[in-house]
Amino acid sequence: MSQTNASNQKYFLPRAGLEPLVRILRQRGYTVLAPTRRDEIISLAPVESADQIARGVHDHQDGGRYRLTQADPEIMFEYVLGADSPKRYLFPPELPLVELRVRGNRFVPTSQPPAIAQYAFLGIRACELAAIKVQDRVFGHAGQDTLCADAAEYYRRTRRQALVIAVNCTRPGGTCFCASMGTGPAATEGFDLSLTELRDGFLLTVGSQAGAALCAELEIRAPTSTEEGLAEMKLAAARSHMQRHLDTRGLKERLEQTIDDPNWERVAARCLSCGNCTMVCPTCFCFTVSDSSGLTDGVYGRTRRWESCFSHQFSYVAGSGPVRSTIAARYRHWLRHKLCTWWDQFGVSGCVGCGRCITWCPVGIDLTEEASRLGRHVPGAGVVPIPKAGGTKEALP
Amino acid sequence: MIHHVADMDHRPPPGMGGWMPVEATIVNIQQENFNTRTFTLRFVDESLCESYRFEPGQFNMLFVPGVGEAAISISSSPYQIGAMDHTIRMVGAVTRGIDRIGVGGVVGVRGPFGRGWPLNKLAGKDVIILGGGIGLAPLRPLIHWLLRHREQCRRVVLLYGCRSPEDRLYAAELEAWSGRSDLDVLVTVDNADEHWTGPVGVVTNLLQRIKVNADQTVVFVCGPRVLNRVAAWNFLQLHVPPAQVYVSLERNMNCGFGRCGHCQYGKHFVCRDGPVFCFADIADIFAKEEI
Repeated sequence: MSQTNASNQKYFLPRAGLEPLVRILRQRGYTVLAPTRRDEIISLAPVESADQIARGVHDHQDGGRYRLTQADPEIMFEYVLGADSPKRYLFPPELPLVELRVRGNRFVPTSQPPAIAQYAFLGIRACELAAIKVQDRVFGHAGQDTLCADAAEYYRRTRRQALVIAVNCTRPGGTCFCASMGTGPAATEGFDLSLTELRDGFLLTVGSQAGAALCAELEIRAPTSTEEGLAEMKLAAARSHMQRHLDTRGLKERLEQTIDDPNWERVAARCLSCGNCTMVCPTCFCFTVSDSSGLTDGVYGRTRRWESCFSHQFSYVAGSGPVRSTIAARYRHWLRHKLCTWWDQFGVSGCVGCGRCITWCPVGIDLTEEASRLGRHVPGAGVVPIPKAGGTKEALP
Repeated sequence: MIHHVADMDHRPPPGMGGWMPVEATIVNIQQENFNTRTFTLRFVDESLCESYRFEPGQFNMLFVPGVGEAAISISSSPYQIGAMDHTIRMVGAVTRGIDRIGVGGVVGVRGPFGRGWPLNKLAGKDVIILGGGIGLAPLRPLIHWLLRHREQCRRVVLLYGCRSPEDRLYAAELEAWSGRSDLDVLVTVDNADEHWTGPVGVVTNLLQRIKVNADQTVVFVCGPRVLNRVAAWNFLQLHVPPAQVYVSLERNMNCGFGRCGHCQYGKHFVCRDGPVFCFADIADIFAKEEI
């Protein structure tokens, strides 16, 4: 996908240039995945034409709330994320791993390894690039982990072939806090091309050799200094309009001390343990390989499916029951994993600030609120107030 | 800080890191108690029988087609080549499935996985092995290893507790070990019968019967969750340094190599970083509930 040492050369791509881009990608054999409007949400799906990309809509997101409204029909990308992320394609919700027959005392494989699609992600955001980088570490894209070489093969091969045309966010969503996590709103690495939407087109930035090669086939011109300045301004505005914040200074160290924090019980009183947050999270990687048997054909299947640490059976041990039997324990595990133990395991934060877990939580539990409360409890002092939104802005990079 | 360095680094042989289990025939089943049996497996592939090695304390994922996999400790001697034992309590779908397959049938194996007992930490030390119930299973390869390398350490004590005399695992072997001069074996039961002349009570009570040279002792514990906790505390109270107390933990495991997330224990993946942990590495969470 991306070589970040590439030129960072900038061009202007007229809005009409998006259609040829989709065409060229398809000609090169890519399945083009772009934000589409489906079931009244923005959904990452295959498109055959730029016309199918969602445009002219604004999204309104808040805890437990997602709505689309009509906006300037000319403007394409003034919405942010739906529930889907590239995770759905790189680490599919359901992936057949092997199928086998039992022949005498032998297991005979009857399936080929799953076919690897060539994806071009068009219109994904900076936080999603950050999430892909996190999953690269989880699935050993760097190749340092020989033990799970076979097991993560699908991710690695799909990832290696994927092309990324990112879109920088000029209008942050209501639950976004990427600026706090240092992952957005502008993509700085991990893309082949990036687009910043202007009035009548895009400021295009080249991020890799593959991106530069694409540019050669596009109708582009050098940008004017006004266009470059405008793009800068729009991104700065997006950054300052972000409504949610998470103070990450000392966060990991603070969370290390929170096992006995009384706030877990408070969250648990609201949390339904539905697992939505883990399904929409672009970095959550837990899975279960489950076995099936064809009743008539004698073929046994092994299928990998997304799993949620909020499910009761996730930690179930035969003979002694689930390790985390309470919702408080499951929420504690999830939040501390995201913001604390993920660092120990993979050397990065497990949270990229996309805000999906807030939007898609049916009761609107806000990760930024909960995390800011934790580890600040003083016995006898009552509930810890949430630091005011924006109160940490000065500390941001 | 990981205190734990395995002296043998056995990774799964080629082809066993993926999702396709390798076939192994059940060649013998030994009844241990009312719901526990020891299954002796032999790989169908002869070359794998020769090449397969594991560390005492490691586990395999055993597979029943169409049913699933379960993480089961390897319980035979690491020096027994060609066949290996898994002592299994029939409490879940997979373990009951293995039982149904019976002698002559085939199960799947992926492994070995995890880190075993720290065999490089016991030179010149007293070794106390404390097991409860089926917790003796992952300790058995360690005992076999110790008896083979007996000159490396000073005293070796095995403390074992189970519900009743009939519930003892490896009863004949326990008898044989009791007769040895280089191994002290103390067995206690919760409920005695009229033939039982040994101690009655929880296994940690046996600590009153032995002298513990705290600084010079390495401790290996495996049992139910509560026993692990009580035993570790008892040894710490006797001033055994936390870095010399090792515990093997049980968790839900699905992949075996630290990716599926099921076995997470704080920052640890029990299947990859454990199942054997040094107490010093988990002291912050060991006493906590529902981690």
